[in-house]
Amino acid sequence: MSAAKAPPGHFSILYFAAASSFTGKSSEHLPAPVSARSLFDELEQRYPGMRDKVLGSCAVTVNLEYVDVEDGEDADRAIEAGDEVAIIPPVSSG
Amino acid sequence: MAPSPVVESLRRQIASCEAQLNDLRQQLAEAEVSHREQDQLRRSAHPSPDPLVHDMSFGIHDDFRSEVFAALSQVEEERPPMRRWPLDPRDYKRYGRQLIMPEIGLQGTFLNASVLVVGIGGLGCPAAAYLVGAGVGTVGLVDGDVVEESNLHRQILHSTGRVGMSKVESAMVALTSLNPNVKFVPHPSRLASDTAIATFQPYDLVLDCTDTPATRYLVSDTCVLLGKPLVSASALQSDGQLMVLNNPPSPQGDNAGGPCYRCVFPKPPPPESVVSCGDGGILGPVVGVMGVLQALEAIKLLTKVAPEPSRMTPAPADPPSLLIFSAYANPMFRSIRLRTRKPKCAACSVQASITAEALTSGSLDYVQFCGSVSPVDALGPNERISVENYAKLRLEVNPFTGMEPNRDSHILVDTREKVQYDLCSLEGSVNIPYSTISGTRTTSSDGEPNVDEQEWVSKLRTYSDKPIFVVCRLGNDSQLTVKKMKQLGLDNGGQRWIGDLKGGLRAWRANVDKEFPDY
Repeated sequence: MSAAKAPPGHFSILYFAAASSFTGKSSEHLPAPVSARSLFDELEQRYPGMRDKVLGSCAVTVNLEYVDVEDGEDADRAIEAGDEVAIIPPVSSG
Repeated sequence: MAPSPVVESLRRQIASCEAQLNDLRQQLAEAEVSHREQDQLRRSAHPSPDPLVHDMSFGIHDDFRSEVFAALSQVEEERPPMRRWPLDPRDYKRYGRQLIMPEIGLQGTFLNASVLVVGIGGLGCPAAAYLVGAGVGTVGLVDGDVVEESNLHRQILHSTGRVGMSKVESAMVALTSLNPNVKFVPHPSRLASDTAIATFQPYDLVLDCTDTPATRYLVSDTCVLLGKPLVSASALQSDGQLMVLNNPPSPQGDNAGGPCYRCVFPKPPPPESVVSCGDGGILGPVVGVMGVLQALEAIKLLTKVAPEPSRMTPAPADPPSLLIFSAYANPMFRSIRLRTRKPKCAACSVQASITAEALTSGSLDYVQFCGSVSPVDALGPNERISVENYAKLRLEVNPFTGMEPNRDSHILVDTREKVQYDLCSLEGSVNIPYSTISGTRTTSSDGEPNVDEQEWVSKLRTYSDKPIFVVCRLGNDSQLTVKKMKQLGLDNGGQRWIGDLKGGLRAWRANVDKEFPDY
């Protein structure tokens, strides 16, 4: 997983656990800005099937803060260039 | 020659009994030592060749003597032997290193604390070991499984000799020898919703060391209903998660309380995406790190008092966070700030729908809530071949044509991931990982075949006359692969046979080649 800085006009997105297996990546840079609400659409387009198979149960964070992408206030928030987004699926094994 | 299963089983049982015997001997030795020490202590407190006794018996008037004896014996009888120090002498020695920590101090024997560890696997073993080492007074252990050999690389309380023993029993053997002063409460069965409340009730806090989404929701809901803080962790492959939930454990609907598991993950993952350690793999130290962190968070909760000088007033709970561990990332740890309770949470909010009655009556179906995977049944009988028949095709002369077996007569595709394929595979097979197959788009939107067709598809197209047999680990992915290949038109409109090996390599090992590795 690279902590490399996103190029201008991009944000970084980190994929953990099942999100990482699904995308085959641990991180990448995507064009900013994107509204939190449309983040899942964006990802579904890049990785068909990801919404149902992974994203539906995931926690999403922006700059290490939990964001509820389906809730009014949070969902309107924009993900800006330079932000760090993380897709965190629940891990249940132990 | 390989030993027969009976011999193997007897050997294992003997090894298991010997291990138990050794453990018992060790426990006996320790008990004898501590008994001897206490005996000595008692004797040194009442030295018998006391000069006073001599004087009293021979040099003093009888009346005075009985008066003095009465006074002395009164003190002896009425007061229990005075404890000179706040702790038992042996506790100073055993817990000294943690007692002198400024964050811990005198409370650091945890004698009156009780912790329930749910799941005695990769997380529960290290977590319980540290809690028992620290001297938590009562430790409850919940698990319905038995120790398997494939557990041992990470479940550090179990041992080779105890394979086949229940995990709770095995853990108690190891933990008792670590610290015989702790009281253990065994719960050797899987946590069930109708008994969860009764099981959790006596404990101060709970550690979720379980391994399925359904149990995680059940553990969290029970903690919310009973007002117990919950230290929850999980691990898979090289990733781990840690949260302290329901802290502070305010009643349902009270916003001052910490979030619960449902606040963070309101929707369970789709069942077909849930990967177990058996299927996805797990690195021992990864789950070990998470279990050790659970013990640490538990100790922090048990010693939660404000620093001097306002000692004894409970410190405010740390703001809720989710710690993510990723062994191959840099940095390895990321801490995420969580929200407070979710306004519409089904368990802990004002709008909560989960009640103790619903839980105990069993009307809350956690398995249904999380869904379950029914075995894949995607193919018709003429699209499948048993491993025995495939073995004949591979190894025997064809009785009808008299043809020598020839591996070139067909293509055998193994759809396990490369890392598994490299461990062991059938000779002559071709590896096309299922992740590659499932990610292949079948047709472009206008129905025309893809221009930039993936290499594996083109390769299979070039040998268009050879039948394709597909095999995987258990016989699920192979079925989906056959479907996909047909959608891609690799069967030439039905002219070429494509099918899978029923039951996969597990069936191959069970029915054809016992030596094929079992991993």
